[in-house]
Amino acid sequence: MIKRPFIGLFQPKLKYDLLEADPKEPEVVPVPSNILLLLNDSLDSSKITFIKKGDQVKKGEKLFLYKESTEHVISSVSGVIKRVESYAGEFGNIKTSIVIGNENNDDFVNDFKEHADKFELDAAAKFLKLLPGAPPLEILADPAHKIHTLVISGVDEDISSTVRQYFLTTESADLKEGIQILKKLTQIPKIILTVPEGISVDTEISGMQVFNISPVYPDALPKMIMKNQLSTIVPQGKTCEDMGVCFISSEAVVSIAKAYRDKSIHFEKIVCVTGKDGVRKRMKVLIGTPVISILKQLNIHTNENDRIVIGGPFNGFSTFTVYHPVGPCMDSIIVQDSGSIPYVSDSACINCGKCIKICPANIPVNLLVRQLAANLFEDAEEKFDLEACIECGLCSYVCTAKIPIFQYIRLGKHELLKIKAEVETEGANA
Amino acid sequence: MPNRVKLTVSHAPFWHDGDSVCKMNLTIILAAMPAVIFGIVQFGIPALGVILLAVSCSMFFELMMNFATKRSLSIGDFDAALIGLLFGMMLPATTPWWVVVTGVFVAIVIGKQIYGGLGANPFNPVLIGVAILMVSWPGYFDFDGALLNYEFSHEALAPLAALKHQGVAAVDFFSTTQLLMGQQTGAIGSTFGLGLIIGGIFLILRGCIKWEITIAYIAGIIITALIFNLSDSGTYAGPMFHLFAGYTLFGAIFLATENSSSPVNTIPMLIYGFLGGLMVILIRNLGVYPDGTVFAILIINLINPLIDYIRPKALGRGVNNA
Ligand code: SF4
Ligand code: SF4
Repeated sequence: MIKRPFIGLFQPKLKYDLLEADPKEPEVVPVPSNILLLLNDSLDSSKITFIKKGDQVKKGEKLFLYKESTEHVISSVSGVIKRVESYAGEFGNIKTSIVIGNENNDDFVNDFKEHADKFELDAAAKFLKLLPGAPPLEILADPAHKIHTLVISGVDEDISSTVRQYFLTTESADLKEGIQILKKLTQIPKIILTVPEGISVDTEISGMQVFNISPVYPDALPKMIMKNQLSTIVPQGKTCEDMGVCFISSEAVVSIAKAYRDKSIHFEKIVCVTGKDGVRKRMKVLIGTPVISILKQLNIHTNENDRIVIGGPFNGFSTFTVYHPVGPCMDSIIVQDSGSIPYVSDSACINCGKCIKICPANIPVNLLVRQLAANLFEDAEEKFDLEACIECGLCSYVCTAKIPIFQYIRLGKHELLKIKAEVETEGANA
Repeated sequence: MPNRVKLTVSHAPFWHDGDSVCKMNLTIILAAMPAVIFGIVQFGIPALGVILLAVSCSMFFELMMNFATKRSLSIGDFDAALIGLLFGMMLPATTPWWVVVTGVFVAIVIGKQIYGGLGANPFNPVLIGVAILMVSWPGYFDFDGALLNYEFSHEALAPLAALKHQGVAAVDFFSTTQLLMGQQTGAIGSTFGLGLIIGGIFLILRGCIKWEITIAYIAGIIITALIFNLSDSGTYAGPMFHLFAGYTLFGAIFLATENSSSPVNTIPMLIYGFLGGLMVILIRNLGVYPDGTVFAILIINLINPLIDYIRPKALGRGVNNA
């Protein structure tokens, strides 16, 4: 954890991890006996599920919860479904976990094979969106978005990961190929590659621009790149995609290249694991591998009240179970010892102004947090710019009163969405 | 599933820079120590008595208010201790015990707790306490009278009172070095200019006070005093005298920067500080009080909410959908 410097007049500089000079091949975690897949769909006890305990599934098979479901997961092993259960995500978002016992046979369904020569965006969106790195192909395929700029992220968004940099430097040939494929698939004219300052790459493609990104958090967050490099301010409440810019990680691009070359999909994800001692290691794991299998391999023991963070220290979330699976867009895992977890407090804002100094979006955080604590979400938005927040988390990081500001902000945005939805339905009913 | 360890579940971010209200207040208390210790050496045991009484009563009243309002105990954050300390530092060493207790009571209960405690007070609690005393029993703030029985090696006069009553000629009694080294009559913690400056620099470097306010406040003092002095040097004292006499430095470093009652945006902080300095000199030169610090800062506290509306536009606010 990076602490405040003794001379606190100057802002703490939170440096991103830079990839080491001579990156090693990631250590491979063996395929566990059970894998777990998280499906973005909730169980409905009144309906009969399409998949159930005891079903035989093959590697590469798409699993839907109900016949009419649109969300799916792809099994990364072949074996038997052992359990289908509800799984609590953030903000009461209920998902479904599917546990599959691995039978180690070579049954493989390869639906993508026949599309691998055609380079059609719709097919790619249908078969490749769950590749390691989670390429945002559905957004690219959706004509509503009118994407005119594609940004290939060779920079990691949060501090504790070097996964994207790893793909940027070690797999540059595949990266180039992937970019060419994306050009062919999407016909997007403007392609940009983001590279951390201080790392040199030899990925040159005619017409592609390269942006050097400063290694200080939060400069690699998409909205900061929009502001600093693309000189486009994303209006309050809008996304980068609304502005016609789509970000895709270098890992996803490499995955696409591999899929078209091998004419099949693969499930190996690279994850950066930070142990309790702060040592970081990149691991190669099968999607669906529970976190505990990785920790066992690394000899990291978890005890009561430790914390496992999925994603980075600023943008991640903490899981309640050591069985949380590796997903397509999970770049890092951090294990924190119970003794080193910073506590939050219920004390009020003391108006010290540190959050104001550090906020990259000029949000009056000290006033905003008072509104949010009082559940005044509409005021928070209208007068105190709730939606302009780019969710960097720095205000909470520096808050003297240790207020969980960032949590208030996320909750506030969530509530605001609900309020807006209600207003719309009321308007429609009237 | 086996191995059901209970993990801690909480919210991002999962790091914190390690700062806390308690650490911040302790740092400020530490920064005040050079001036306090000098005051105790200068004014002896009575000064120590006043400081200790103020700090302990302050924490006691805070605790009582915690119980009365059924809020969680807050003396652990040392805010009450800091209020008590700063309050004590503003008194002459001979202040009777009941005046100290009354003042601290006003500071903690009326200045802070009534508004909802830490972070909710619109005025600096210390100044509320001092102001009430100044208005109710002005005699105790007549430093010359209060400290009559002391034998000083230096000119036994409170510089600002001397200026008020004897005119600019009194300024000659005090050289800047004397003022800096605490060779003046005054409150326990406000006479040792050098100690205050060291404490102030320490706090600014540590990032514990809003440096913009301190700097602007001092600039306000110097510029306004200079203008007066240039316009009529026979009536008005020069900027250096004002800067090092009375509560000026103490106000710039410890009082105007009180978090809750001061702005957080850069331009408002500069305006706020500058206005504070300006008001001090106006009151000193044109008003009835020898030292204007207390009321000047209360006045800028009052306008703080107004000027803190001046803030930069949030990212993406007011941008047309291109
Ligand atoms: S998370 Fe906090 S610091 Fe970051 S943009 Fe939002 S309000 Fe500002
Ligand atoms: S950092 Fe925390 S305590 Fe300080 S002004 Fe911001 S919200 Fe308030």
